[in-house]
Amino acid sequence: MSADLQPLMLDALLTGGLLLLLIADLFIKDEGKAVLADLTALLFGGLFAASFFLDTSGTAFSGAYVGGAWPLFFKRLFFGAGLLTALASRGFVAERFPRRQGEFYLLLGACVLGMSLLPGAQNLILLLVAFELMGLPLSLMAAYAKTEDAKGQDRDGAEGGLKLYVVGAASTGITVFGLSLVFGMTGSLEFTGLAAAPSSPLLTLGMFLTLAGMSFKIGAVPFHMWVPDTYQAAPTPFVAFLSSAPKAAGFAALAAVFLRGFGGAAEAWVPAVLTVTTLTLVVGNLMAIPQSNVKRLLAFSGVAHIGYMLIALAIGDAEATGVLLFYLAGYTVTNIGAFLVVNAVGGRDADVEIPLFNGLSRRSPGLAACLLIFLLSLAGIPFVVGFWAKLYVFLEAWRAGLWWLTLLGALLAVVGLWYYLQIAYAAYIRAPADDRTQPVRLDPRTRLAVAVCLIAVVGMGAWPAPFITNALDAAAVFLK
Amino acid sequence: MTLVTWALLALFVPLGVAAFIGLVVPLRRTGRPAALISVAGALVSLASAGMVLAGGSAALKPGVHATVGWLTAGTATAVGVHLDGTSAWMLLVVTLVATCVQIYSLGYLHDEPPPALGRYFTYQSLFLFAMNTLVLAPNLLQAFLGWELVGLVSYLLIGFYFRKPSAAKAAVKAFWVTKFADLGFLIGLVTLYAQTGGFEWTAVTPAATFVTLMLFFAVMGKSAQFPLHIWLPDAMEGPTPVSALLHAATMVAAGVFLIVRAEPLFEQAALTRDVMAYVGAFTALFAACVAVVQSDIKKVLAYSTCSQLGYMVAALGAGDTFAGYFHLSTHAFFKALLFLGAGSLIHAVHSNELKDMGGLFRKMPFSGTVFVVGALALAGVPPLAGFFSKDLILEAMHHHGLHVPLAALAIAAFLTAFYMTRTVMLALFGTPSHAAEHAHEPGIDMKLPLAVLALLAVGAGFLGGPLAGLTGHDYAFHFTPVGGAGTAIGLVGIGMGYFMFGPAQGGAAIKRGFAPVGAFIRYGLMDRLATVAYGIMLAVGAIIAWIDRYVIDGLMNWSGWILLVLGRRLRALQTGNVQDYVYAVALAVVVFGAWGILR
Repeated sequence: MSADLQPLMLDALLTGGLLLLLIADLFIKDEGKAVLADLTALLFGGLFAASFFLDTSGTAFSGAYVGGAWPLFFKRLFFGAGLLTALASRGFVAERFPRRQGEFYLLLGACVLGMSLLPGAQNLILLLVAFELMGLPLSLMAAYAKTEDAKGQDRDGAEGGLKLYVVGAASTGITVFGLSLVFGMTGSLEFTGLAAAPSSPLLTLGMFLTLAGMSFKIGAVPFHMWVPDTYQAAPTPFVAFLSSAPKAAGFAALAAVFLRGFGGAAEAWVPAVLTVTTLTLVVGNLMAIPQSNVKRLLAFSGVAHIGYMLIALAIGDAEATGVLLFYLAGYTVTNIGAFLVVNAVGGRDADVEIPLFNGLSRRSPGLAACLLIFLLSLAGIPFVVGFWAKLYVFLEAWRAGLWWLTLLGALLAVVGLWYYLQIAYAAYIRAPADDRTQPVRLDPRTRLAVAVCLIAVVGMGAWPAPFITNALDAAAVFLK
Repeated sequence: MTLVTWALLALFVPLGVAAFIGLVVPLRRTGRPAALISVAGALVSLASAGMVLAGGSAALKPGVHATVGWLTAGTATAVGVHLDGTSAWMLLVVTLVATCVQIYSLGYLHDEPPPALGRYFTYQSLFLFAMNTLVLAPNLLQAFLGWELVGLVSYLLIGFYFRKPSAAKAAVKAFWVTKFADLGFLIGLVTLYAQTGGFEWTAVTPAATFVTLMLFFAVMGKSAQFPLHIWLPDAMEGPTPVSALLHAATMVAAGVFLIVRAEPLFEQAALTRDVMAYVGAFTALFAACVAVVQSDIKKVLAYSTCSQLGYMVAALGAGDTFAGYFHLSTHAFFKALLFLGAGSLIHAVHSNELKDMGGLFRKMPFSGTVFVVGALALAGVPPLAGFFSKDLILEAMHHHGLHVPLAALAIAAFLTAFYMTRTVMLALFGTPSHAAEHAHEPGIDMKLPLAVLALLAVGAGFLGGPLAGLTGHDYAFHFTPVGGAGTAIGLVGIGMGYFMFGPAQGGAAIKRGFAPVGAFIRYGLMDRLATVAYGIMLAVGAIIAWIDRYVIDGLMNWSGWILLVLGRRLRALQTGNVQDYVYAVALAVVVFGAWGILR
């Protein structure tokens, strides 16, 4: 039994921690509940640290779960994202939802638990269960800002959550339908069994439907429409989380099914992935241009980034998958950082329009510099992590003969500058509005979270070697 | 200390200074102390560059290569410094001009509020680091990093007057156009890596033509070659010392330097070199035409820079790397001189417009003299710096049988001499404007850099021999018919400019002095010829300037507009109704399903 639990040690600790949080929530009065945020942050921080000491290799559940470097990479990513989110949510949640604080962190924890189980899954059932354990809390958290404050702001919250839920339910149905076709044609739930099955039209249909369902989770075009509406409506610190870690989990699931399961039948699904990739790149970048709401702008920018990552998925070998992991890590820290700055600047405003950033460099020079660096990283300018992520993807694509995706991606990266610079332009060049000349208020925990993101973005940009090495090692399980 | 240590010092001292005054906010806000630290950093950098060069050609000739591994996994490459004659000399040019410009800025930006001054010098130091990163790059990847960083800092420096909307707009435009061109660099880089597994300057690959064409596209953006030159005139909205540093001596020359550095790659690509020869020559002619009709002294110099960069690119296209590199160096000195000289005129009359100047020579004999020296050097009057390098370029074009570009460059040489004479006459002589009455000389901090650059504008031409030795070429000046003709054309241009814009008594002096042509003048033939020629030139210049402003520039705006419209169109799909989203998902699934079954 103990040998069986070894690869799931971190997940077990997380579950135990969540149960303790649940109990603690019962005994803490409303006014003291903010401490739950710190406890959650502590839990994620501890797990993140523990991931460097515990040996989580081996198999569990009679081979349904396999530990090792691949799931470990994702676990660190998820715990890190959870830590940053818990840190940054404290002030916001305590102020906005004073009576519903405990549930927020429990949902966050449950979501991370689902994600954390996902990358090690070796069969379709565990994969699906983990996926849904991740997805349901996300819908609930997206709807968290239901009509709460006296002014009746944030009524959109429930709408955004509902959109995520309805479209998500449809896509889960499609995924399950696709996977059942796959099971019907192959007679196997194990990924290793899928690889052995002969090709047939129904199997291909199953693959395509699975791809469609999972594309929804990562927000790839044409399954992206919930993304901007949900981001706009949901609490911003949560959007920081939603825009990063679940995307990584989605890619873990895609990699499991398509690289591990159908890796041998690449010619069947790669054209479909390439179609989605191209659409995602073009639509994401173009639709970001006319947005005046920063959260929607970053939502479409996120869609565009998914496109760049899909390029790596379409290539599908171990090296490209390592590049995908590096991209995911870089994107996670950058995007969380960017959304946290947006949250700080937006304050209580429901709609974070670009003019809110006017003159930020004069109000809060430090925060403006952080924002600029995050934007540069998203745009892919050298010396920050986003540049290497894009460069690696382009190099891999060219190597794999997808030169036209390199050209398209590079061209659209220039388009991307346009909308990122709009925010930088407002922050650095425009004068602040008369009623907004004070420095932006930041609570110390958000400050810490932004600082961590900044250090990660700059550090991984200045010295990417150890990180890319780590990512390539983690992806070595896909060596053929 | 070894050469590499000195080079690292030249590289990292400016970075340290930028970080120090950038991060220590109270220091930055004091303005002047931060500025002095920055100047000190630039001086250290300059001294280190001098020490590198003092190491002598013996050590530099084989090239000193010092790198550390960087992106170990997946893409094996290194960062570090590569020192040879080419990079050592460029390092000296860059640090020298940067130091001059920084010292000059102390005086020029004297009235800026202290926080703005601190910010400006932070950017200046950062720029020096970025430029040195590029110059010392041991491979194309590091060059690309420096290249991008240079672009970013130039954005900050152009937008320095961010309260001025036109400056902010110009900064965005400059960044956009060059960034668009940088696509070429990126694609060239990726192709090179895919072909050779590395980013080496000396790579040998069958894809060299494609790689170099892509690199040249980036060069067209950075070095303002037609039709990607559109950002340069607008960039004149930045402070004048910035124009001197970025838009004359260093940043725009980075493109030319890149080609010089990547010579082994370009040698494998005859097609690219032909393209370069024609694009360069066309830009030289085109920009010279536009410069003739500008009314803003900085715009004249901006188009002139485009034109001179065209000379360099054409020379490199002809395969004569040394000619291009030599002109890069001399141009860096005399064009920086012209910009800083123009800055001191602008400083005196508080206007960029030529009509607000006039008669300044009497009020400002020092600034006037150095400006004239720069103009003469640019016009290619012997024995000033521009004469030698321009002569060499024309000779190179002739030698390689590129007669059409040669003709374009020759006409451009005439126009260059003409518009510079026009500028000198309008700004320094003639009737003083109202503003010019109160003009006075700048302080010593602005005069000193002007004096240094003026000496170089006079003498740098004689450095050709040593420079050739340093970079492994052969060069000794000798008179050639083509070069002589080029010089003569320049002198005619000066004469014509003087005739059209010089003081009336000057014209009379000509009439008295040139007895043999006196007969023509008496009949008014010369007069009419000159008027007609000037009329044609003015018309052509105006038409080309119009095309430049509205067609070329318009195309750029138009492509942006198309993107915006496309984005808006797509936006209509985002209805906000959850039903529509589910329909979209369902539709996509049907399409996917059909594809899955039918394939």
